[in-house]
Amino acid sequence: MQHAIAFVEQKNGTARRVAFEAVHAAKLVAEQLGGEVHAVVFGSGAAAVAELVKAHPATKIHVLDDAACNGFLIDPIVDVVAGLAKELGGAIVVAGNTMIGRDVASRVAARLDAGINADVVAFEVANGTVACVSPKLGGLTITTCAFKNADFGVALIRPNVFAAKTDAAGNGEIVALAAPTRAYAMTIEADVDEAAAELGVEEASVVVSGGRGLGGPEAFTTILKDLADSLGGAVGASRAAVDAGWISHGHQVGQTGKTVSPQLYIAAGISGAIQHKVGMRTSAVIVAINKDGNVPIAEFADLMVVGDAFAIVPELTRGVHAAKG
Amino acid sequence: MKIVVTVKLVPDTNAEKRIDPGTKRLVRVPNETVLNPFDEYAIEAALQVRDARADGSTVTVVAMTPESGKEIVRKALAMGADDAVMLCDEAFAGSDVWGTAIALAAAIKKNGFDLVIAGSQSTDAGTGALPGALAEYLGVPGLTYLRKLAVEGTTIRGERETDTGFQTVRVEAPCLVSVTKSINEPRYPSLKGIMGAKKKTIAQWSASDLALSVGSGGAKTELTAQASPPVRGKGKLVEAADAVAGAQAIIDFLKEKKLL
Repeated sequence: MQHAIAFVEQKNGTARRVAFEAVHAAKLVAEQLGGEVHAVVFGSGAAAVAELVKAHPATKIHVLDDAACNGFLIDPIVDVVAGLAKELGGAIVVAGNTMIGRDVASRVAARLDAGINADVVAFEVANGTVACVSPKLGGLTITTCAFKNADFGVALIRPNVFAAKTDAAGNGEIVALAAPTRAYAMTIEADVDEAAAELGVEEASVVVSGGRGLGGPEAFTTILKDLADSLGGAVGASRAAVDAGWISHGHQVGQTGKTVSPQLYIAAGISGAIQHKVGMRTSAVIVAINKDGNVPIAEFADLMVVGDAFAIVPELTRGVHAAKG
Repeated sequence: MKIVVTVKLVPDTNAEKRIDPGTKRLVRVPNETVLNPFDEYAIEAALQVRDARADGSTVTVVAMTPESGKEIVRKALAMGADDAVMLCDEAFAGSDVWGTAIALAAAIKKNGFDLVIAGSQSTDAGTGALPGALAEYLGVPGLTYLRKLAVEGTTIRGERETDTGFQTVRVEAPCLVSVTKSINEPRYPSLKGIMGAKKKTIAQWSASDLALSVGSGGAKTELTAQASPPVRGKGKLVEAADAVAGAQAIIDFLKEKKLL
């Protein structure tokens, strides 16, 4: 293992925030291995994103801006990333821990017969061996897992951990990738954005979540959404809210939903039972608003405000706007 | 159509988990082990496909588990699966995603399959990487994160959750799909189902039955260190006199933490 490949996830010219973080994480590892950083940008709009990648530390930026690839799920990307890894002879593949990132990484890992570490928050490199540090079991324990005697390894990084400062300009060389020529079996018949401008909860640096205490679906699209927007964050939800059909499962935080670790987690009307706790307890700062001060979340929130979330949340949004001028 | 569902045993979702400070391993409490909740959606989806076809299609459950996992496999049979395969072998202990995917792929190929249905993640390790790796080792396309699944003849259609919405996707069998909890409401095993499950076949295959050598010896990742995170203590509690005071307390706190 000598080089590092960063999968730069993008859609129609808009990169995922974690995509740039992947480039920086790849740089951290490659630097210690004495290798190069190769970024891969794929699909319609890739050329525009590749220009943005130039402000990040990649040696080469491999680009395939081809609308023909948009109709297939991940298979062409897997072919390209695994092919590049083989060509380099030894590499760690770094991708963001997102839905597409997980899909691409898991198939690339299998294609390369490589190990995979998910939810990585740090890398340790010693004597040419790369190890990944990841919280497991909802932050109950922190493990360090090394890739054993391997030419290849795959790491899914936790969003919001590896800083993507643009001052570390790499001015990477843009290399055009050849379009894969084989036929692909999977076809995307329609691609619908329900909330195009919305950031996924996994990637957001602020998550504003609602629970059973909000009593119905309205709050999720009104007061919680407004607060999340004011803080540049995303709307999350507890299992109870999702099971009641108030908001889609993609927003669920917890053991049967997503694990998040934002800078700020605001829980409105959420009791914080273990099932929810394991999905958010590694957040940097937790603020809870609940009518009942004796709910489980009071035991681990940094600030617990006892009061009516319906009244406090809109006031808080006003306060945030005022503070930001 | 031969439908195969992969299932896993996990610690009970509702139980607070504990790490043994001596061994640094998860303390496994026998009665707190359950069928991975996501796998119940996979089983239900498989049963619905089979029953809608009514053409002699079958549902086989495959689990990599020690013998103690038999009760979980029986639950899948009680829900209505036709038979089961357990991969029981000391050699499988300590398998990582790579080792697990290789063993499951070998077992599924040995059993034969047209459609493999997996839960989109497990509630313990939760890497969400197994379905993709398994599809790759089976050499078939993988449609992941499905919230709707329809099978007509050999055409598989699904609605796939994305971070920003959904996609409608299509593929021909053989293939693998993974399902999310939005896809259905899993049935409870009926009394008849529970009684009937006792007569169903549970095959037990070892690594040599699959001509494999996987497990911790063959894993591609190695646990080198384990640490406990700092304990998260109780923070500040503010009783809000009114909404404005409650909001102000949060604003002040966010400013103090330099988040605003």
